[in-house]
Amino acid sequence: MNEFATILSYAAPVALAAIGETVVERSGVIHIGIEGGMLAGAFFAMLTTYATGSPWLGIGVGVVVGVLLALLSAVFCVTLLADQVVIGTAVNLLAIGLTRTLFALRFGASGQLLSVEKIPSMNGLDAVTIGTVILAVLVHLALTRTGWGLATRSAGEFPEATEAAGYSVAKLRYGALAFGGALAGLGGAYLSLGIAGSFADNMTAGRGFVAIAMVTFGRWKPVWALLASLLIGWVDSLQFTFQTKGWDAPFQLFVALPYLVALLVLAGVGRGANAPAALATPFRRSR
Amino acid sequence: MNQRAFLLSALAALVLIGCSAPAGKPSGEAPKEEPFKVALLTPGPVSDAGWSAMAYEGLMAIKDELGAEVNNQEAGGTQIKDAMRSYARQGYKLIFGHGFEYNEPGMEVGKDFPDTVFVSSSGGQTATNVGAFRFYLEQGFYLAGAMAGKMSKSGVVGMVGGDDVPSIRSTFKAFRAGVLAANPNAKVQEVFTGNGQDPAKAKQATEQMIAAGADFVIHQANAAAQGVFDACKEKGAYAFGANADQNANPSGAVIASAIIVGKPAFVALAKQVKEGTFKGGIALMGMDKGAIDFVVNPAMAAKVPADVTAYVDELRKQIVDGKLTVPKDEF
Repeated sequence: MNEFATILSYAAPVALAAIGETVVERSGVIHIGIEGGMLAGAFFAMLTTYATGSPWLGIGVGVVVGVLLALLSAVFCVTLLADQVVIGTAVNLLAIGLTRTLFALRFGASGQLLSVEKIPSMNGLDAVTIGTVILAVLVHLALTRTGWGLATRSAGEFPEATEAAGYSVAKLRYGALAFGGALAGLGGAYLSLGIAGSFADNMTAGRGFVAIAMVTFGRWKPVWALLASLLIGWVDSLQFTFQTKGWDAPFQLFVALPYLVALLVLAGVGRGANAPAALATPFRRSR
Repeated sequence: MNQRAFLLSALAALVLIGCSAPAGKPSGEAPKEEPFKVALLTPGPVSDAGWSAMAYEGLMAIKDELGAEVNNQEAGGTQIKDAMRSYARQGYKLIFGHGFEYNEPGMEVGKDFPDTVFVSSSGGQTATNVGAFRFYLEQGFYLAGAMAGKMSKSGVVGMVGGDDVPSIRSTFKAFRAGVLAANPNAKVQEVFTGNGQDPAKAKQATEQMIAAGADFVIHQANAAAQGVFDACKEKGAYAFGANADQNANPSGAVIASAIIVGKPAFVALAKQVKEGTFKGGIALMGMDKGAIDFVVNPAMAAKVPADVTAYVDELRKQIVDGKLTVPKDEF
């Protein structure tokens, strides 16, 4: 049980971002910028907790920052019909530069090892990890059992029909991006306040990109995205165990292990995947 | 569409602001007489609270004590030569590359700029205007290993590395030698996370190391080190600080630190260059020169048995006197 709680905890940042990104992609937008959303969430969550001593306030700020960055993307991707991959990349660069600059301004150019208050946990479980599991189920129900879910999914499949049915594709996509941004921010905040209790320059280290892969891995289904994140998280924890055994093999092999597994699974299930038909296609409303 | 163009350019501006590093400003208006200019190239961000931060603090000491005009940037791989040439063209007199990988480019660029001195942290080649100084941090790691080997109850100790680079491998080798000298039956575990900026990974690696029996852990994880310390605190193991004196870390898990005293070495080097007495060559900066130290955390000194303190002090004396040569890799 404790073992599972540990894996869940280390996998939670990726899982949260992946659940959020699932909704975003279902609405027809691919948001590469969740890496930046996580990093900004991690930084501002740490900064808030450092200043106030309250990790919960930090988590809240992390979520808000994630939403704001996602809305910035939404302006360009949804309203201005810009290329989603380019905008996402720009948002990532913005987040890296912004957090690095502010980190240096606040804590000195040479950096500091920071130790901030972490969110409380019992037996390795805490509110965020439990919430992650519940959230995956709730998002699944919302996507499959509600009118909002149907409308959002249709915006990702055939947006013309969504508009014809009286919905605004733009509003649905804004909503999905904001939700995805909130979860990316939460994932980042949990990384700095739930796991590390610290912050380092660019500490998300590609977890946002892994989350995007987990969406595909999970076949655009939130519960499967969570399970995929757990599987990769478990393999990731194995690699350290392998390394401590002192086998005569380059450690890079072990570090690459989770990605190797992801690649193999994707190669197996990738064909005929139920990707949203209108994914990454800006929707121009006809007049 | 006007609005769209405006917003796009606004984003472009934001990205530009975001990308600009907080480093010193490039030399703006040309002053009357040429000031003494020193540049630093680092393999990673200087905010790593470790390896690159140490060099940055050295650079700041050069600025404060010699009144030099300084600048620094991150440069790796193919960027190194470009960065060196651009500094040399701007009249920088000393260009310091913080790593062995700056030695070879220094040799090449140095031929074209005989009036500029190129110095790297370690590296084997030298010319009249190219040199290296190598911090013998292995000595500090050896003493940490000796202490861990004597004090470990489980007989298992661990090392957590961030990036896999030869300088880190070399310190780990010395730590291992120190442990085995103190306790030939000890087991030394080694884990690399592949990232010195990821405290979550470092923490996970350390937790697993402790679960496998380690009760002393040393790190070479730069900014990710907090993860190592926190894991040690939560699971009840001792940690060693590295590069800088990390004894005061709020985790309270750091029993001692193997440190580089970099500032004097940087200032002395810059002084040589400024006065024109630099002749090239490779300097080994060890405990005998006061550039390396091993400091026990005063708050935890009571936890170190007297015989262990005596043992470590004896080894330290042998190292300073040159009777004991700590193993190190050449790179």
